[in-house]
Amino acid sequence: MSTTSTKYNYFIEEKTLAVKDRPRKFLQAFAAVLEHSSYGLALEMYARLGAKCSRCAAACQLYESSHDPDDIPCNRSELLMRVYRRYFTRGGVLKARFSNGFTLTEEYIDTMADAYYRCTACRRCKLTCPMGVDHGLVTHLARYLLSEVGVVPKALVVATREQLEGVGNTSAIPQPALKDTCEFLEEEFQDLYGVEVRYPMDVEGSEYVFFPAVSDYLLEPDTLMGNAAVMALTGGSWTIGTGNYDGINYGLFYSDRMMERIVKNVAAEVRRLKGKKVIVGECGHATRSAWFIPTFCGPDAPPVVNFMQYTWEQMRSGKLPLKDERIEERVTYHDPCNIARAGRITEEPREILKMICADFVEMTPNRTENYCCGGGGGTVSIDEIREFRTGAMGCRKADQIRATGAKILVAPCANCKKQLREVCEDNGLEDVEVVGLHDLILKVVDFSSLPKASGEGSTASTTPEGEAVEQAKA
Amino acid sequence: MTAWLEWARGPAFIFAISFMLMGMIRHVVLTIWEMHRTLRRAGDKSLPLRQLTLATLKWLFPVGKIRNQLIGSVTSIIFHVAILIVPLFLGGHIALWSRGVGISWPAIPNALADVITIIAIIATVALVAQRLGARATRALSRFQDYALPVVIAVPFVTGFLVMHPAFNPFSYAAVMLVHVMSGNLVLVLMPITKLSHAALMPSVHYASELGWHWPSDSGSRVAVTLGKEDEAI
Repeated sequence: MSTTSTKYNYFIEEKTLAVKDRPRKFLQAFAAVLEHSSYGLALEMYARLGAKCSRCAAACQLYESSHDPDDIPCNRSELLMRVYRRYFTRGGVLKARFSNGFTLTEEYIDTMADAYYRCTACRRCKLTCPMGVDHGLVTHLARYLLSEVGVVPKALVVATREQLEGVGNTSAIPQPALKDTCEFLEEEFQDLYGVEVRYPMDVEGSEYVFFPAVSDYLLEPDTLMGNAAVMALTGGSWTIGTGNYDGINYGLFYSDRMMERIVKNVAAEVRRLKGKKVIVGECGHATRSAWFIPTFCGPDAPPVVNFMQYTWEQMRSGKLPLKDERIEERVTYHDPCNIARAGRITEEPREILKMICADFVEMTPNRTENYCCGGGGGTVSIDEIREFRTGAMGCRKADQIRATGAKILVAPCANCKKQLREVCEDNGLEDVEVVGLHDLILKVVDFSSLPKASGEGSTASTTPEGEAVEQAKA
Repeated sequence: MTAWLEWARGPAFIFAISFMLMGMIRHVVLTIWEMHRTLRRAGDKSLPLRQLTLATLKWLFPVGKIRNQLIGSVTSIIFHVAILIVPLFLGGHIALWSRGVGISWPAIPNALADVITIIAIIATVALVAQRLGARATRALSRFQDYALPVVIAVPFVTGFLVMHPAFNPFSYAAVMLVHVMSGNLVLVLMPITKLSHAALMPSVHYASELGWHWPSDSGSRVAVTLGKEDEAI
């Protein structure tokens, strides 16, 4: 087990402190990334065009509550732009020959290390930038470069290590435990609804191969039951691959190198199972990462569907039988940045909610302009910064939720759900229940068309994982 | 003085406008070239073109964006429109083009030009005042963010004085020389400062999107370059 350092706002692994000569290594990594990636053109433009108009300040939920000039998106991006200008533009190199200007130092790297993890890369500021600067892209790149000199929050790197070099997924759930959990959920279907609903494993040739945030198997049984119920009722052809059942990709948050490896593993599992499409569970960043499959695997890569898109397709064509009753409490919807900011998935969940809820209200602002939950960019996994996440970063979200008066908050994203539960807890919103979209769907689907359970398997699971699920449910 | 003025309007202007045009064309050509290269290398070559074009147009004609920061946005739009109209459509300027290269286009009435010039000057002052008057912009601003508005205001102030000798306490020729040379300076600064947005702005949204479109093996290539391909996480 690695030890921890408290050098930054977040924990990093003690061993990374031994990395010497970080400025030189940072610049080497920067050069390599500029050569082999596509950031160059954008950086060149940002370095020239920055208008310093401060419109992004008004868009940033962090600056709006912290009023710290270092939290202005344009200022944060300037940290990396300064390095880019000095070392990678002709003007900067020339200027450095004639003046004692900027030099990249160890301390400067420390400043960046804290600054770029105070940004959730929600990209809300991009919408208000007249010059079209994508500060999320700059944060993404800066974290990638920082990771090459050993600066990564321990929470992220430990999970990624487990996924790529350990058990095979970020929550370290071994295969037998996965099977136990799914069997337990199947028994739940028998006990609660008296029906036979399966979690198909390793079925070759399925249309959809299922990749939820793997933590759902520990924390979100209702979401997974909703997923399975929809598939069972609509006759969907789907399977869970026991070779890789984790949609989580922390590479998106700190390293394109890791991201490439994780994405390629997902595509490989789909190929192994001769599946046709990737279906991602309720998870924002897993969905956005999966959208990078064509980037890393070429145009023949399997298409990606988010579970909400599948469910809405089925509901729209009337293939999902619903009961007459609807959810009576007031429900509101949180748009996860990773699927909503670019406008890719905003309407499907709303259409579903309008169909199944009696009192659905919108947050303001919403859709592409929605505020981040406050735990984006992987920061939700960093437990030691909870006070920051639910305070300066999350208080605006709390206000937004409070203003709706909703009792149920739907957030179709594993990260958003964890963060929003903490936001509600820390901001006096204990009476708000944070759930996934399929948790609600599970309550209103009509199981009568399914075969009745044979009635033998109602013995409760006694495996540790089963208990974990029961506890999580309680 | 007349000789200086002829030099400013002649060789100096020709240099300034050539520098500006060549610099801006260079920006555009290099940008298109780099976009092409990035897209050719990208693993995922599909771009949300409709969405990107809409975003670009919305910012080129930012009427729908006003509500976010009302006063700042309105000032900025007025400023941009005013400083574009007068230099391009003043009768006196068109007469110079006509005399020099034999091309001309319709002019705006001088009285209208006067009004727009005053609006441009007020808008420039207002922009600087707004920059100074808000915490966030003060924290962000660099030297060029204050210097450029001043440099841009000079040709408008001097232009107004030249057109209205009654208000002009200085010699006509001297003010005219400052007018022409400051105009030349703005042209020269365009490609090498943030003023290059005049040429580059239509391409930024595409460039930002392309920033996410990496080659399919970009990660492993970086690993190889840095000698980290076998390194444990």
